Amino acid sequence: MAETLLAARTISRRFGRVIALEPIDLELRSGEAVALVGPNGAGKSTLMAILAGALKASGGRLSVTGSAKVGWLPQRPAHYGRLTALENLVLFARLEQMKHPEQQAAQMLERFSLPSDRLSTYLSIGNRQRLSLAIALLGDPNVLLLDEPTASLDPKQRALLWSEAQRHIEAGGAIFFSSQNLEEVERHATRVIALDSGRLVFGGGPEEYTVWEREP
Amino acid sequence: MKTLRDAALLARKDLISLRRAPLVVILLACYPLLIAGLVGTVAGYANSRPRIAIVDLDHIPAKTKVAGHTYQIKNLIDEVAKNVRISWMTKPEAAQALRTGEAVGVITIPKGFIAQLKSVVSSPQVEFETSQGGISSRVIQQMQALIYNLNRKLQDAYVKDAIGYISVIRNGGKADFLGSNYKVLGIKKARALLAGEKNNPDAAKIVRFLDTAEGALRASEVSAKAVAQPIKLATETRNGRGWLLSAQMQAYALALTVSILALALGAAVTASERDENVACLLGRGLVSRLSLLAAKIALATIISLAVGSVILLAFGIIVDVGGIAGGQPWQRVPLVLVGVTLFGAALGAIGTLIGALAREGRSATLGALLVALPIVLLGLIPREVAPPAGYVSDIFPFSHGERFFSSALYDLHPWATIGPEALWLLGLLVVWGALARLAQPRLTEA
Repeated sequence: MAETLLAARTISRRFGRVIALEPIDLELRSGEAVALVGPNGAGKSTLMAILAGALKASGGRLSVTGSAKVGWLPQRPAHYGRLTALENLVLFARLEQMKHPEQQAAQMLERFSLPSDRLSTYLSIGNRQRLSLAIALLGDPNVLLLDEPTASLDPKQRALLWSEAQRHIEAGGAIFFSSQNLEEVERHATRVIALDSGRLVFGGGPEEYTVWEREP
Repeated sequence: MKTLRDAALLARKDLISLRRAPLVVILLACYPLLIAGLVGTVAGYANSRPRIAIVDLDHIPAKTKVAGHTYQIKNLIDEVAKNVRISWMTKPEAAQALRTGEAVGVITIPKGFIAQLKSVVSSPQVEFETSQGGISSRVIQQMQALIYNLNRKLQDAYVKDAIGYISVIRNGGKADFLGSNYKVLGIKKARALLAGEKNNPDAAKIVRFLDTAEGALRASEVSAKAVAQPIKLATETRNGRGWLLSAQMQAYALALTVSILALALGAAVTASERDENVACLLGRGLVSRLSLLAAKIALATIISLAVGSVILLAFGIIVDVGGIAGGQPWQRVPLVLVGVTLFGAALGAIGTLIGALAREGRSATLGALLVALPIVLLGLIPREVAPPAGYVSDIFPFSHGERFFSSALYDLHPWATIGPEALWLLGLLVVWGALARLAQPRLTEA
């Protein structure tokens, strides 16, 4: 059985009186691609932010196994607009305390075919999303959390992103991605969980999900 | 160690970002200077001449003869009113002007004023009304100055008149008194007439009396001149600092500019972390909240130091090139910059708090400006005028910074002032920094 990299036990989140996420259990194992689906406002981004450590859970416990690291690609691109792609990567590599930040940043720049001399604010949406993914991958995380990663990408950019995700899985990592695109879920997910109004309403394989989703 | 290293990395990133937005930098530097200039101009108005209405119920004639001298009383009033603007009005007009604030005071010259003045027996009286308000005490002082100047002009004439009478009594001649003409023999002539009566013991007594009277009158002539001006003020205009280049103005300009700059910058760069959606990335353990806070405070401090140095340099060059007495105390500049560092850091902490609470760049900048102006204006109110304003101002850095700068630049022994003020600024940095640290989760949580 594959190693559990990240485990969440009865994690929940409230915003005042509003329950954004009811208690939920979740495990992510090495080599898995788990899709998180649900309508807008279902609590997908809240769960993703809690797993990323960017939002405190109101209840429950989150554990990351051993030396496992978590990388996060938020729904909206996250980088500094007045720095170039290279400067962004060098800065985040330094903050990650990587040994050779300039070298690592240059490798990422080449791997994601990003322009080195343009300020990030002037990059296309696709390039900005790829830059955010490159930043998320700095520090070689085992678990990659992708919040609607392809929502604003054209088909070519999507293919590039999924090839990077596939590479990550093949290297023994796990991905947890949210999506509204059923075709994408069927093609890339090994497991699906569905949320509605903050409650877990489905957990199973992609084929089962397709059947469940088409039921009236 | 990592905390400091991360703070330095983030502050450097902010400096690079600022360098790439020159318009923002120019605005950041120019806007506070513009505000400083406007506040300075408004403060300058405090020295402008208030308007005073005069109601002439006595219908003062164009020319009036008082104590043998002819005066144009209205012209005399206009002439001595150096610090106020005079408007001659009717009584209803003056009352309306006082109600609406068009005039800050009304002088009423009552009926019989000129007749009483001419009598030289008792002092005529004018009535003065002023509105209640912040400048009423200053207006009363200026009215006292006006009456003083008017009295001095008349007093000179009275004294000359009195000396004329003494001269007539001593030397003989014609004199007018209370409208009657007299021919006076005079002491000298009286003594000459008695010179032929050497054997008359009564005449000898009269001559001795005349000698005594002559001596007394001579002394009276001298003392009458002295009584007119018991103390003379010798005024000399030197090439010293005018109001615009005064020590206080320099301290205010520095404090005001750095206040607005550090507050707005601290707030804007803090909120920008959220605008760029990076705050949540940093907040998930990549950097500590203390690093993030320290980076923003450091940036506000660095920019405050840079702009503060430019202001000190600009003042110094103007003072030196203008050959202004005293010159710029260049050797004190490092001490002032120590104050600017503490001042900028304390304000940067407040800015960071605003940025964390606002969570969005535009709101943060607006919030910082809304907070900056009351802080500055509270600090400008003299503590003696409104003590509660002074107590409230104490919890903000402005007044402490202004006192530090002023003392560091020009006090002969500044340590007694800058020591406590430096401690105040350090304390405010810690307190506001702690509050900003408490607000950080609002910024970094997704």
